[in-house]
Amino acid sequence: MKLSISIHSAITTLKKNRTRSTLTSIGIVIGVASVIMMVGFGYSAKIVVRQKVFSFGENAVVVQGSPKEFITAKDSKYLRDNFYEIKYASLNTTEKNIRISKGSKVASTLLNAVENDFFQIQGWKLKYGSYFSREQMDNLENVVIVGDTIRKNFIGFTDPVGQEIIIDGKPFRIIGSLEPRGLTFTQTDFDDFVAMPYMTFHSRIKNEKIRTELFVGAVDEQSLGKAINILKSYFRQKYNQTADEKDDFVILTNDENLEIAEYISLTLSSLLIGIASISLIVGGIGIMNIMLVSVSERTREIGIRMAIGARNRDILMQFIIESVTLCVLGGITGILLGYLIYFIIILMLGWQFYFSLLSIIISFSFACFVGIFFGYYPAKKAAKLNPIDALRYE
Amino acid sequence: MAKAENVIEIKNLSKIYNAGEDIAVHALSDVNLAVKRSEFLAIMGPSGSGKSTFMNILGFLDSPTLGKYIIDGIDGSSLNNDQKADIRNQKIGFIFQGFNLLARTSALENVELPLFYRGTVSSKQMREKAAELLKLVGLGGREHHIPSRLSGGEQQRVAIARSLINDPAIILADEPTGNLDTKTTNDIMNLFRKLNDELGITIIIVTHEPEVADFTKRKIVFRDGKLIQDVLTKKKKNAGYTRELYK
Ligand SMILES: Nc1ncnc2c1ncn2[C@@H]1O[C@H](COP(=O)(O)OP(=O)(O)OP(=O)(O)O)[C@@H](O)[C@H]1O
Ligand SMILES: [Mg+2]
Repeated sequence: MKLSISIHSAITTLKKNRTRSTLTSIGIVIGVASVIMMVGFGYSAKIVVRQKVFSFGENAVVVQGSPKEFITAKDSKYLRDNFYEIKYASLNTTEKNIRISKGSKVASTLLNAVENDFFQIQGWKLKYGSYFSREQMDNLENVVIVGDTIRKNFIGFTDPVGQEIIIDGKPFRIIGSLEPRGLTFTQTDFDDFVAMPYMTFHSRIKNEKIRTELFVGAVDEQSLGKAINILKSYFRQKYNQTADEKDDFVILTNDENLEIAEYISLTLSSLLIGIASISLIVGGIGIMNIMLVSVSERTREIGIRMAIGARNRDILMQFIIESVTLCVLGGITGILLGYLIYFIIILMLGWQFYFSLLSIIISFSFACFVGIFFGYYPAKKAAKLNPIDALRYE
Repeated sequence: MAKAENVIEIKNLSKIYNAGEDIAVHALSDVNLAVKRSEFLAIMGPSGSGKSTFMNILGFLDSPTLGKYIIDGIDGSSLNNDQKADIRNQKIGFIFQGFNLLARTSALENVELPLFYRGTVSSKQMREKAAELLKLVGLGGREHHIPSRLSGGEQQRVAIARSLINDPAIILADEPTGNLDTKTTNDIMNLFRKLNDELGITIIIVTHEPEVADFTKRKIVFRDGKLIQDVLTKKKKNAGYTRELYK
């Protein structure tokens, strides 16, 4: 008996009972769709957090100082110059909504008041121009380096160096612009920001050193822990803290955020795993039920098949193939439906789409498994029928 | 290799059903019968006399309680379920009274089905052979009709075509003309006779109607599970020969 023929005849049989087959496989459809969404959301959430986290930079930590005493350029210079593990250090003050304009174009953007190391820590590369010079920083010149979105929106697709732009009502000269991050990330545009020398910001725009953070980049991943220890003892000393006092400052690491992200996506996944397994079990029982009905409805057919030479295992296979086909068709529908819902929600959240072949393979095999597992009992019942009893069945 | 002369050999065959507590129904008791190759046999007898029970045993659908049955040289008592299924598939063609065909399945697919279980033939060959047989039974051009679109006689023809597809040694037909009108009955019986004459297939049919039995070459009669009569059918050419088995 050939498998392809069996599958063909199973599909034909299911088609004859189209409504019933459709209703029966809804459980499987929901189960598989939740598996697909679960894996998709899990990955997307991880990508989102990874990208947010990446705003710190690779192997980077951020120190938020005590309100008692600001972190200063002295701190960043000392740390950068005296420890092998600390490769980069840059002050940073973030101003979230700063008005910038040129001619009739106006926008509100993000401003980072930084030192040059900031660009290294976050992995920015220059597309045009140069970083801040010693002279520009010392003279508190009104210079600015712009992200790619700002360049495109205000200058156009050309070299912006030398152009003037108004930031918070003051004229600034563009001395450089950055390569785009190239992220297909729709909600947060990392390229929509400007950066100016730390001291320029605090003397020309807003003197709020209290919000100053220190971005620190370790030389490599292995040195990150050591760098954090250095920062700890350095800042405890700076703030004259005794051994039993709690840290008066905060060190934010990527890892902590990643852990939170993983926790969130794990919680989300467990929830969906619950939904998926319940609906697959319920769907499976539905399939078993309908297969049992089908077996007793078709007892006479089973008798005829046996009378013309179907062996017990041919009958067994016929019914298992039918239930597997039902599950597989439900599975395919579920995969499509799952991706559709996932895609729509992702689009609304502005998260990144993640296509996982593995989740397709897993949910597909699961559907097959449910088909075999829940189809076996009814199929066995059919196969065990005595040919003569089956033929006489009314 | 010389095949056994008798295509069917039945010795002291009994079938006892236990209906309820201690009521035993002797559906068949001590039946003996030998059928040669290419015979055309009618089984007659009143309702409940054991005709169907006998046919089902001949067709490996059921097993006897006692006795020996050898079909085309194969001893039926020594076979397991799979072997019986294979014999039903390859040596025996079944035709029942009604509801013979798979519903909502085309005539062609119904005829192909035994080959499908045999599993040694390509689907193209299956289709060709099934179409050929449908032509033989006079249903050329009706291949894709489903049973509900065919008349009772036509459905029986499809069943006959199906019974022929594995070149069986024996065709067993249990009241094949049971609910057909006289004309259709005659058509079907003529078809059987043709298959018997031209292809030499052994055919056994169960019938209540003497006119149907007249198409055959030999008649056996059951009563209360016993074979009580075995006669050659009276015809113009071989009339007159009768033999009483049980007094
Ligand atoms: N499964 C069964 N259990 C109990 N008794 C049975 C069973 N099958 C048949 N019988 C009995 O065996 C006897 C013979 O039945 P069978 O079906 O062979 O009769 P038949 O000659 O084919 O009758 P008909 O002409 O009405 O078809 C009957 O008395 C019947 O009631
Ligand atoms: Mg009968």
